[in-house]
Amino acid sequence: MSDPILRLQGIARDFHDGVELRRVIQKTDLDIYPGEFTIIAGPSGSGKTTLMTLMGLILRPSEGTVYIRDIKATGCSETKMATLRQKNYGFVFQLSELLPALSVMENIVVASGIQGSSVAGDIKKKALDLLKDFNLLDCLHLRPLQLSGGQKQRVAIVRALVNDPAVLLCDEPTSALDAESSQIVLDALKQLSKDKTRGLIMVTHDPRVFPYADRMIKIEDGIIVYDSLISKEQKAL
Amino acid sequence: MRSLVALKILLHDRTTTAGSVIGVIAIVFLVGQQLSVLFGLFNYMSVLVDHSSADVWICTKNTSTVNSAGLLPVSYLDRISALPFVSWAEPILFGSGSFKTKNGKNEGVQVVGVKNLRQAIAPWKYSQGSAASLFEYDSVTIDRLDIKKYGNPKINDIYEINDIGVRIAAITEGVKGFAGRLVFTNIVKAREILNTPPGRCRALLVKLKDPQLIEQGIAAIKKVLPSVQVISASELSSNTRAYYIINTGMGGSFGFSTLVGGLVGVIIITLTMYTAVLQREKDFAVLRALGARKLDIFVIVMVQSMIIGAIGIFIGFFLLALFLHTTYGSPLPSYMPRWASPILAFSTFLLCVFGSSIAMLKAIRIEPASVFR
Repeated sequence: MSDPILRLQGIARDFHDGVELRRVIQKTDLDIYPGEFTIIAGPSGSGKTTLMTLMGLILRPSEGTVYIRDIKATGCSETKMATLRQKNYGFVFQLSELLPALSVMENIVVASGIQGSSVAGDIKKKALDLLKDFNLLDCLHLRPLQLSGGQKQRVAIVRALVNDPAVLLCDEPTSALDAESSQIVLDALKQLSKDKTRGLIMVTHDPRVFPYADRMIKIEDGIIVYDSLISKEQKAL
Repeated sequence: MRSLVALKILLHDRTTTAGSVIGVIAIVFLVGQQLSVLFGLFNYMSVLVDHSSADVWICTKNTSTVNSAGLLPVSYLDRISALPFVSWAEPILFGSGSFKTKNGKNEGVQVVGVKNLRQAIAPWKYSQGSAASLFEYDSVTIDRLDIKKYGNPKINDIYEINDIGVRIAAITEGVKGFAGRLVFTNIVKAREILNTPPGRCRALLVKLKDPQLIEQGIAAIKKVLPSVQVISASELSSNTRAYYIINTGMGGSFGFSTLVGGLVGVIIITLTMYTAVLQREKDFAVLRALGARKLDIFVIVMVQSMIIGAIGIFIGFFLLALFLHTTYGSPLPSYMPRWASPILAFSTFLLCVFGSSIAMLKAIRIEPASVFR
């Protein structure tokens, strides 16, 4: 097995709910490997999204350390964390969250230039290649409002991929889509998960998605209660 | 990319962008219009001093404004004309008069008597006639803007000022004073109209051979004429303006209006920019999640503020120019000195950035975690 691309060592997260300090993620160790399609499932309020935001360096853990590509991210400044997110992560949100003011192409390359640099030519070329792969080349100059839900989510996936991230984090990306669009998006994500340089993590409570996973993590009340690889036989069942 | 994002968001949120631009226009136009009227009144206040070709004015002691000068002996001229650094010296006479109109009404005027041939202080722009008209004994000028008030007189029509017959010899263009409508005549006729004792004048105007040596010139004249006030034209002009600003409450009134104009603009900008950031809260959170630093969000909102400022200042100055053009030659005094426009533009720009500061603070505090549901 290759080295983990993302490592969580003893991480925990507390929130103050206005009355008392509540631990929403109990002390956890977790390694994510490249080429794996990991699903984090659990009921609402179980802490799966919090766990994902800790993995994605969006939130800082109250305890423990996060390593991305062997870089210790915990303790970094906010600016450094932002740069680590830009260089190492791709995010696909529940609703595509494309910027309505920007065109499809601008939405895709925005992350590359958001820290002030101009967007490199190879990023633009990669964006075009990905748009072609996702059958979105006709939408290049359209605005998000002119796209269907499925198209928007595919554009969001392209946006997440364009910087060649080490980890692709997907937060219930099919929950707002119809069955047909969900199928297209899931097939695309499954295909991407085969890339041996990238780990793919999806948070969901949709059981239709489970068969796509290589690894299933279940979380309840902030505790990982199940973490197992899924064999081909189990998937077939 | 940040500037492009800033511009695209502005273009997308047209209503809020328009609101902010209106805020900037309000600052430029309201403040600019108030200032231009104030500057216009400034010009009226010291019009006689500013349009004299003299370097030094000699008036009675403790003269606070040019209009409050007492009477001086014209004979003082003999003492200063002989001084080696004096190029020329001339008397001037002015005072209040009552212009009887055709329908029997009396209109207050300020009669200014100038000495031929030099006419050290004389109308600077004519609509009809010329400076030569003032050579004739009974001739006076009136201003085009006051013609209606006087009952539409024509050239060579006979009227009365202080019950003395005068003939309209020329019509001036935009020659107005703060203390009353200006009527120019020769000093002999002015003495008759104003019933001034012989050998008396209101001030003596002195032109120096070398205007650079004004301090030395004033000191030398003071030695010759110790009982009068000897003052440079520029100092008398600013004293006169300061006197009116302080003593008429005009400074406070215009200052308050200017402040209100600026405040209204800042409030509009603050509210619209803040609303715009609230509306785009999710977009900023997405950008933060994708790798934008707080600095990048700050830059986006700052660029938006600068674009809004630039557009607003451009439109505001266009409207202000339209206002100045429309009021030029009208009874409403409006004048914007060249140096004032860049200061107004820069101040507006600063106010625009200040108005956007609350929106900026809000924008940089948006947490990327808020994009996750």
